[in-house]
Amino acid sequence: MATFLLRRFLLGLITLAVITLIVYGLARSMPGNPLTVQLGESDPSRKLNPADQQRMLEIYGLDKPWPVGYLQWLSRVAQGDLGRSITRKQPVTQLIGERVGPTVLISGTALVLTWLLAIPLGLYASARGGHADERVIGIALYVLYSFPAFVAALFLQVIFAVWLQGTRWELPLFGMTDLPSDASWPARSLDIARHAILPVICQTYVSLAYSSRFIKANLEEVVRQDFIRTARAKGAGPWRVLIRHAFRNTLIPLVTLLGLSLPALVGGSVIIEQIFTWPGMGRLFFESIRERDYPTIMGLTFMFSLLTLAGQLLADVLYSLVDPRVSVD
Amino acid sequence: MPNEPAVRRSEHRPREASRGFWAEAWSRYRRRPIGMLALGFVVFLTAVAVFAPAIAGTKPVICRYKGKLYAPCLGYFNRRWEAPIFTTDKFRGTYPQNLQDKDPQSWAVWPLVFQDPYRRVRENEWPGRSENPSRDEGRPSRLNLFGTDQYGVDIFAKMVHGTTIALLVGFVSMGLAGSIGIIVGALGGYFGGWVDMLTSRITEVVMCVPTLVLILALVAVVEKPTIWKTMAIIGATGWTGIARLTRAEFLRLKESEFVMAARAAGAGPLRIMLRHILPNALAPVLVPITFGIASAILIEGSLSFLGFGPPPPTASWGSILNSARSNLQLWWLVVFPGTGIFLTVLAYNLVGEAIQEVTDPRLREAKK
Repeated sequence: MATFLLRRFLLGLITLAVITLIVYGLARSMPGNPLTVQLGESDPSRKLNPADQQRMLEIYGLDKPWPVGYLQWLSRVAQGDLGRSITRKQPVTQLIGERVGPTVLISGTALVLTWLLAIPLGLYASARGGHADERVIGIALYVLYSFPAFVAALFLQVIFAVWLQGTRWELPLFGMTDLPSDASWPARSLDIARHAILPVICQTYVSLAYSSRFIKANLEEVVRQDFIRTARAKGAGPWRVLIRHAFRNTLIPLVTLLGLSLPALVGGSVIIEQIFTWPGMGRLFFESIRERDYPTIMGLTFMFSLLTLAGQLLADVLYSLVDPRVSVD
Repeated sequence: MPNEPAVRRSEHRPREASRGFWAEAWSRYRRRPIGMLALGFVVFLTAVAVFAPAIAGTKPVICRYKGKLYAPCLGYFNRRWEAPIFTTDKFRGTYPQNLQDKDPQSWAVWPLVFQDPYRRVRENEWPGRSENPSRDEGRPSRLNLFGTDQYGVDIFAKMVHGTTIALLVGFVSMGLAGSIGIIVGALGGYFGGWVDMLTSRITEVVMCVPTLVLILALVAVVEKPTIWKTMAIIGATGWTGIARLTRAEFLRLKESEFVMAARAAGAGPLRIMLRHILPNALAPVLVPITFGIASAILIEGSLSFLGFGPPPPTASWGSILNSARSNLQLWWLVVFPGTGIFLTVLAYNLVGEAIQEVTDPRLREAKK
């Protein structure tokens, strides 16, 4: 186990270095830099004169070619420092700390909802395999699965924010809260919850469709095996066979799926957060690309990749914990 | 007799040759109503894309002008294909009145719907028809089937002409992704060793960068995004799944007897890979390519929607949705392109599913 972890850890470090190198190179090759993009867009007359600009580039260390800049960034990260955002004048870790809460609020709720709904749905669908109601559920899930989230978000906005405007079913269009920050916390949390409903729905339905189809497919694979026949032969009822004997054996792929959804849990969805102007990580990434805010781009990329690799590793380790037959060595 | 040997050879052939793999798969595919329906929809979209200028446009499909036949509608595909005589005669893009005025003898076959995807149709451009409504008054009507946008441009025409992009995005970017994926996977799977080590690492790195992060970064690097650059970027980032599958197939097949036979007969590595292994590995690889087409359309839609797409006047479905974001009151700007993207993605997913089920023997066994 220890050698396995060490090997994966070293390989992961190399992968991480290559990924950040690529993204750093890309970020620095984008036309413009944080200074020109930010000031030039809002007001052409406020453009820095070349001398000032050169001086500021030197302060930020952007006057050197990007491979040098990358090495500097890497050595700072190795010391646990993600740097300061250029456009927001804040440490990147602090920025991420501010944005991670709202994102987890949405994606965490969506994740819990997904599994709470997907497991019963998957079980039900495989228990009723071939019946009319199972067909209807299957088709509905497939249609949902193909429904693009950004289209769904717009449809929901049109329905709940425009058509139902003025009724009690109206839901806010975007943002996280309309109340001032000194409002009482029950009112505030209620308001945030109302704002979160649409984004949560958008994030839930796609993964719900995917997960329940995944559970059903795995169950169908397991149900054909010999030990299920044995369980039936010894007189276990259909539901008992399905839950106690079959479902427990589908946990392994589920655990993998759970591990792989770790980056999305913290990383959020760029598109959903952008549509609902939700102040989360995905939106932060989108904005930082727009502003050419290299430290933030790199901090987020570093975190996303770290989580992706950690999720894969976690899935492999959990695999061996859930299934004693699997050994990582 | 020159043709005698041919006749004799055919006599020796078994009476009925067994059907090939693809013919077999096709005959199974044809028995799947949903798969056929989805395929039919894709064919329908292709037809719409090819005949777009004849379905919606303001330029005649065919017209006779000053004694000659022209097809000005081709100008929608490429500006240069519109005959120069219409420029020298100062038509300025409006045909109905100009044709009448400048050559009373002329006649023209018009598109089914007289609307333009790039501009507002003005008053009396078509004799007796009023100007397109604009701002928030453009709800769907008899003249504007899907309504008009804020500037009075017809949505139906935009969608018909945007079909080309939706289809091209899928095929071009997945064609690219498929080529990269198959080449990388084939090299790694066939040669193994350090080649495999290298290609697998590269694949892993590309897989680990979140797709949208990579795409957004690449789009920002490209200074003036055109639809072709967007397609190239989607293709250059979407090949990892295909590479892994191809690699697995090549690993499996390179040990098989027919490859050994080919090698014994003196075939080189390139020939073995292209002629012997690839045709046998193609069916499983086709499935992620089909699903990839669906996701490429999705990605292009979301990029245009986020404002990172090709600049106007390129009429993509995603950019119509983007214009709806600031005007949610105009529900028709959401419903029609949204449904279009959804149906196209659904159709490709269903086709992919059907291909998977008819070509994968394991799944066929499961159905029995």
